Amino acid sequence: MERAARTDSAAARIAAVARKEAIDIFRDRRAILVTLVTAIVAGPVMMLLVLNLVARQADRVREMTLPVAGSEHAPALVAFLERQQVTLTPAPADFEDRVRRGDLDVVLEIDKDFAADVAKGKSGTVHLVFDRSRDRARASIAEAEALLRAYNREWGRGRLLLRGVAGEVANPLNVESRDLATPQSSGALVLFLIAFYGLFAAVMGGMAAALDTTAGERERASLEPLLTTPVAPLELATGKWLAVVALDAAAVVLTLTGFYLVLRFAPLPAVGIPFLFGLRELGRFVVALVPLMLLMPAVLLYVGTRGRSFKEAQSNLSVLLFAISLVPIVQMFLQRKDPPWLTWIPISGQYALLSRALRGEALQFVELAQSYVGPALLTAVALVAVARLFSRESILAGK
Amino acid sequence: MIEIDNVAKAFGRDRGVQAVDGVSFAAADGEITGLLGPNGAGKTTLLRMLATLMIPDSGTARVDGNDVVRERYAVRRKIGVLSDARGLYPRLTARENIRYFGALQGLSEPILAARIDELIDALAISDIADRRVHGFSQGERMKVAIARALVHDPQTILLDEPTNGLDIMSIRALRDLLRTLETQGKCLLFSSHVMQEVSALCRRIVILGRGKVVAIGTAAELLARSGERTLEDAFVRLLGSGEGLAA
Repeated sequence: MERAARTDSAAARIAAVARKEAIDIFRDRRAILVTLVTAIVAGPVMMLLVLNLVARQADRVREMTLPVAGSEHAPALVAFLERQQVTLTPAPADFEDRVRRGDLDVVLEIDKDFAADVAKGKSGTVHLVFDRSRDRARASIAEAEALLRAYNREWGRGRLLLRGVAGEVANPLNVESRDLATPQSSGALVLFLIAFYGLFAAVMGGMAAALDTTAGERERASLEPLLTTPVAPLELATGKWLAVVALDAAAVVLTLTGFYLVLRFAPLPAVGIPFLFGLRELGRFVVALVPLMLLMPAVLLYVGTRGRSFKEAQSNLSVLLFAISLVPIVQMFLQRKDPPWLTWIPISGQYALLSRALRGEALQFVELAQSYVGPALLTAVALVAVARLFSRESILAGK
Repeated sequence: MIEIDNVAKAFGRDRGVQAVDGVSFAAADGEITGLLGPNGAGKTTLLRMLATLMIPDSGTARVDGNDVVRERYAVRRKIGVLSDARGLYPRLTARENIRYFGALQGLSEPILAARIDELIDALAISDIADRRVHGFSQGERMKVAIARALVHDPQTILLDEPTNGLDIMSIRALRDLLRTLETQGKCLLFSSHVMQEVSALCRRIVILGRGKVVAIGTAAELLARSGERTLEDAFVRLLGSGEGLAA
C-alpha cells in the first residue's frame, strides 16, 4: 500500500473513536434501556403522581367537610361555618380513634358547657381534634384553624361594637398578606421535581455508556490492542467523551421533552397552580445544563477507567452519585436566598439557574458564563486524568 | 526488522519481580522468529514493550529503526499486534471491528473498504463479515483479530500465543497465512509456549527462560548445542529444568 494513502490526523482519529463508540452505545441494549427508562418514564410519571396529590389536597380545602360533635351547644358558630360554605356533618362517637387511624382529617368538638360559659361572660371552649403528623391532613387543619380564628375575631368585634368601642382597638395590628409568587413560582414541589430530574438526567444520562466504554473495555481486554494503534491517550479519551456527551445530551432533551409533553397534553387534574413549562423554559433548561452535559461524562469516564471491571466501577460510582444527588435536596431545605457565588459551583450553580428558569426569570449572561467556567475547567482536568490513566502500564493488568 | 538490545523490565513492589532480564536479539524481515518459553518466561512482557504498551526499565528496542519509547507513534504505525487477549468489540460486526483499527491507522475510505474486502477474502470470513462478533467461535475471533492487526499492511507483526484455544483447522489456516506473510518479506515475531508450534513454523527460535535468553538458533542448531535427539529434550535441557512444559 502506498504511504500517501494514510493520513496522520488527530481529529480523524478522535472522530473514528467517537463514531465507533456511538455505534457501540446505540447497540448496547442495557445502556439504552436504562437511559430511556430513567429519562422518559421516571420523571414525567413521578410528576403526574405529584400533580394528582396536589390536586387532591386542593380539593380537600375547597370542599371542606367538617365533622362537628355537639353542634347544638353553639348554634351561632354553626351558622357562621355554614355561611363560609363548610359542609358540617355530625361527628361519629368514636371520632378520636378515626382521626388517629387517619379516616378523618380534623373534627370540631364543641364543649357541652359552651353556652353556659358564654352566658357567664367566660370564653367558650371548642376542641379541634387532629393528628398533625399526617401530611395530607395539614391543609384541612390549617383551614379549620383559620375559620375558627375568623369567627373569634368577628364575635369579638361585635361585642366591642355593642360597648361603643371600635374593633381596631382590640386589633391594633392588621396583617395583610401579599403573596409575591408569580404564577410560575408557586407549586414549589412540582418545580423542584422538574429541576431535579433535569439535573438527574444530565448527571446520570451517560453513566451506563461511560462505564461500558471504559471499565467494559478493560474487562473485555480490548483496550490492549487499541493502545497499539496510533491513537494517543488524549485522543482516545476525547473521542469516547464526545460519544458519551451525545448520549447524555439526548437523555436531557428526552427527559425535558417528556415533562413538556406531560404538562401540555396529559389530562392533568385542576391543580390551581397556573404553571408553565413551555418550549422557552425547555430551551433555558438545556442551556443551563450544558456544563453538566460536558462535565459529567468526563467524570464518569474517569471513574469508569479506574475500575477494572464494570462492577468495580459501578460501586465506585454509587458514592459519587449519592453525594451529587444530595446537593439539590440540601439546597431546597436550606431555603435561603441563593448566595451570589453559588453559580460558580458545578451542580449547585446549575440547580440555582434551573430554579430561576422555572420561576419564569430569564437567564442572565453573566451568571450563565460563571456557571460554565468551573465545569469547563473540571472537564479538561478530568479528560487529561483519563488520558493519564490510559497511558499507565497498570491499565493492562486486567482481570 | 526488530532489534532488541539488553532490555530489562521488572514489576511489583520494589521492582522485585524481574520479568525480562537483559534480553538481546534481532528478528529479520522475511522471516518468522519464534519466541519460545514456558509460562512466566517474560514473552508477553517483551512483546508489550515492542508494541509500545510498556516502557523498558533499561536497554533499547527498535522496530525498523524507530525507538519503541521515543518514537512510539511511528512504531505503532508500522506494527500489527495480535495480543493474547483478542479484545474484539462484541456489538460490532467483524467488518466494523476491522474498520475501526484501519481508521485509527489513518486509512481513509475507499482504500480502507477495499483493504477490508481483500482481508476478508484472504481469511475466508466473508460469511461472517457482517455479523456481530458476539457469539463467534475462537477460530472466527482469531481470524477477525488477525485481519484487524493486518489492516494497515504493517511491515512488522507481533503475535502473542496466536494458537491458544484454536482447533487444528484454524491453526493450519493461521500457519498458511503466516507463511504467506513471510514470503512477502514481513518480519514476524511469534510467541508460544508450545514447542511443536514454533518448530513447525519458525526458522529461527529464541528460547526465553526466567526473563533471559537461554538460546538462539535454528532447530538444528539448538539440537546440536544441547546434544539431545528431540527438540523437546533440547528445550528442557536448555532451560535447565523440567519447568512449565506444555505440549
